[in-house]
Amino acid sequence: MTTVILRTITRLVLPLGFVVSFAFFLQGHNLPGGGFIAGVLTASVVALAYLAYGLDVVEDDVFGREVEAAVEHVQHGVVRDYQTLYASGLAVAVAGGLAAIVYGYLTDTTIPFMTQTFRYATVPLFGHIELASAIVFDLGVYAVVVGALLTIISVVGAE
Amino acid sequence: MVTFILGLPYESNVQSTPDLWVLIAAVGLPFVAAAATPLVARALGNRTAYYAAAVAAVCFGLVVTLAGTHGGAAVTWVGPLSISLGFYVDGLATLVGALASGVGVLVFCYSAGYMRGEPGQPKYYATMLAFMGSMLGVVYAGDLVVLFCFWELTSIASFLLVGHYSDRRESRYAARKAMLVTVGGGLFMLVGFVLLASTVGTYSLTAMLAEPAATRAAVEGAGLLLPILSLVGIGAAAKSAQVPFHVWLPDAMAAPTPVSAFLHSATMVKAGVFLLGRVRPILVGGDWTTAFVALGLLTMLVAAVLAVCASELKELLAYSTVSHLGLIVAGFGFSGALGSETAVFHILNHAAFKAALFLVAGIVAHEAGTRAFDDLSGLRHDLPITAGVTVVAALGMGGVPPFNGFYSKELLFEASYEFAHHAGGLAWLAPVVAVVGSVFTLAYSLRFLSIFFGERPETLGSVHRAPWPMTGPPVVLAAIAGVIGLGGITAALGAPLAPVESFVGWVVASTLGPDAAGHAASFHYYLPTYVSPAVVMSALAIVGGVACFLRWRRVRWATRGLLDALPVLRADGWYDRLVYGANHASTRVQRALWTGHLRTYAAWTFVGAVALAGFGYVATGVAVPNATPSLGATLTIILAVAAVAAIAAVRAPSHVAGVMALSVVGFAVTVFFVLASAPDVALTQVVVETVTFVVFLVILDKLPSYYGRIERSRAARDVVISVLVGALVTITTLVATDATPDAIASYFVENTVEQAGGHNIVNVILVDFRGLDTLGEISVVAMAAVTVLTLIVMRERGETP
Repeated sequence: MTTVILRTITRLVLPLGFVVSFAFFLQGHNLPGGGFIAGVLTASVVALAYLAYGLDVVEDDVFGREVEAAVEHVQHGVVRDYQTLYASGLAVAVAGGLAAIVYGYLTDTTIPFMTQTFRYATVPLFGHIELASAIVFDLGVYAVVVGALLTIISVVGAE
Repeated sequence: MVTFILGLPYESNVQSTPDLWVLIAAVGLPFVAAAATPLVARALGNRTAYYAAAVAAVCFGLVVTLAGTHGGAAVTWVGPLSISLGFYVDGLATLVGALASGVGVLVFCYSAGYMRGEPGQPKYYATMLAFMGSMLGVVYAGDLVVLFCFWELTSIASFLLVGHYSDRRESRYAARKAMLVTVGGGLFMLVGFVLLASTVGTYSLTAMLAEPAATRAAVEGAGLLLPILSLVGIGAAAKSAQVPFHVWLPDAMAAPTPVSAFLHSATMVKAGVFLLGRVRPILVGGDWTTAFVALGLLTMLVAAVLAVCASELKELLAYSTVSHLGLIVAGFGFSGALGSETAVFHILNHAAFKAALFLVAGIVAHEAGTRAFDDLSGLRHDLPITAGVTVVAALGMGGVPPFNGFYSKELLFEASYEFAHHAGGLAWLAPVVAVVGSVFTLAYSLRFLSIFFGERPETLGSVHRAPWPMTGPPVVLAAIAGVIGLGGITAALGAPLAPVESFVGWVVASTLGPDAAGHAASFHYYLPTYVSPAVVMSALAIVGGVACFLRWRRVRWATRGLLDALPVLRADGWYDRLVYGANHASTRVQRALWTGHLRTYAAWTFVGAVALAGFGYVATGVAVPNATPSLGATLTIILAVAAVAAIAAVRAPSHVAGVMALSVVGFAVTVFFVLASAPDVALTQVVVETVTFVVFLVILDKLPSYYGRIERSRAARDVVISVLVGALVTITTLVATDATPDAIASYFVENTVEQAGGHNIVNVILVDFRGLDTLGEISVVAMAAVTVLTLIVMRERGETP
């Protein structure tokens, strides 16, 4: 699978994929996109890199760490980081939901779990944009999707 | 101790309602203490028993403060279902609550001697304390759900305690048996409770007991009296070991003896009869009497015969407990005050003499090293105090005047005679069975007593006297039994034991039906001084019992012969057949379901989904809407491509080709979404399709490049399943898109920008309107990752998943 053509294409696609997924993530509230789609896209781009350069590429070239045996790989290596990613994603999503309750408690109103709100703001260069609190939750979704998918792909791939 | 509680002026302040916090403390304290036990045990070691006894004493004190109050107290628990953390105090609750905590104190003290040096003491005391809390919860529950929860907690505690010696096979078997029977019965009871609550409209026992006549009328109006009565009755019968559920109790004797004394004679098995007393005001009537008099007397007789056949002390006591519980059930079965008096007074008497006898059995086993009747006799010289206790307790158990069991048995005779006199016909069986059962009861009571008399066999080694922590508690219990017995003599002489009488009368009043509640119980008991039918029956029972004891060998031979001829009396087979049958059946099902092939799982999942959804459609009578497809030329071409690719995927000769074809289907669907102006869905489809494809490529290396041959029958099966799934999905889509008016969709369209400030409806639904669903979904995604990781890591380590 690791042909020159695939490697070359991957080199081109990789940055494009990250940028597009970032754009998807940001514009999700108003245009096609969102945390889930962005997450799957990011994961598939990394998976493509796995396909082209082998499973150790992230560990080896990105983090510059020594690659060890398979079990070690699952328990300590980059998979550990993926696990941290989806775990913290879940935490972010829940914390974002709880923030609504806390805010309600502080302002003496009853606001249910995961209530979202939004503001409009004018930012230089970007102009008049919407800032939605839901993006915190969406960030959690993104992290969970990326972390979980990459965990599965790299673990199954290592098999 | 009981006289202490009896001396309280509960009659004067009978109007006052209980304090919620006292109730919560009484029920909650044992649980808190149980949680702290491991730490305490580390500091106290063998003296942990006294810590537990102190906790029980505090609970007993709280029960005493509650004595005399009447009514309910509750905090809201599940508001929408009208379930509350409700408590209810009345005479019955006070009686059984006092037993649970009072006998608790004694049993914990006894455990200090019995469990000394045994391993697993923290576990033992923690579970015992948790059990005591659960029992108090059952007793004081003022809500059906609360009652059920604590009821099952007692079963779990019993499971742990019966299985205390968890390295013994028979302990584990007995623990499972006790739990499956009592928890299984509890499930029947739960159904009964739900039926009851749905007819009455509340789960609150307090409310039901405040208006028993109205509650009964509501139940009868709905035609549910018999179902509720039988379901609750099954729960009570399983807990109180009534025929044919009695099989678990003799096995449960595998528990340490203090556990048997506490759970399996004085308290947990009383939960069943307590429940009968609890619902008696609501349900008592003709059907009630027929069911529970028959059940109780049958149990009393069968278990008494089984007790005669017993070959060791604890087995005899177990069957005897079953028999006496039958007596109590029959007592509650008779309508009217006399029946209630029988049951309530016998709950008290039985707890006193039976707990004492269990503790005696523990002392004998501990000091003599055996529990077999054949090895034991003439122990009165070695264990004089224990022998004295046994005289009082065993004669009470046998119903010999003037010992305490005599009076409640006399009440049973009276109640059964009146019942038969009233009803006539077959009802005359009731007094006959009661007398015959009592004959056997006296016979085995004397047999138990006889281990202390006669000649001491040579084979018996040296027998030490038990330490004081072990002899003290049975002495206290026997003293209570003895005082109650003496009360009958003094009453005959004109000086009744007023506290006992008024306490029992108060308890009886709380179990009376609305018809009998009018003539409030003024309870009296005394040694009879004139001849009545009941006295004649007692005389017959005593003469018969003594005669049986004198011809013990022959009687035992005869009863064993009877059991061999009628093995149905033992009823031991049904449990094993049920459990092992279920085991066997599930193994067979598993062999069909769990083949290790993904295709089997997929097939079952699809078939299951089709069956369930199809059943739903048929059951609700969904009409398939008449869809008139109006596809343009472009869409038609796209769908044709998808169809061709789908066929190609099925017919593909290799994995790579198959995956490729499948991807074509996916991307064709994507194009369909784009053309149907659903950009977000299309985008999702693209990335998911991509990632699936990539994952497939990653793992394809490991698979054989070509498919194996497929059997024709399996191919045919798969075709059928695929067609079914396709048909179901089509129907679902048609039904779902046909729904008008489209309230949900238009709500989202109208409110998305206004309320959430986003223009992408799909995304706003995902993160805002239905954010909680998304939270659930990402949790599932994370769980999937954890699962994959676990499976793989376990395999790497060489463990089988």
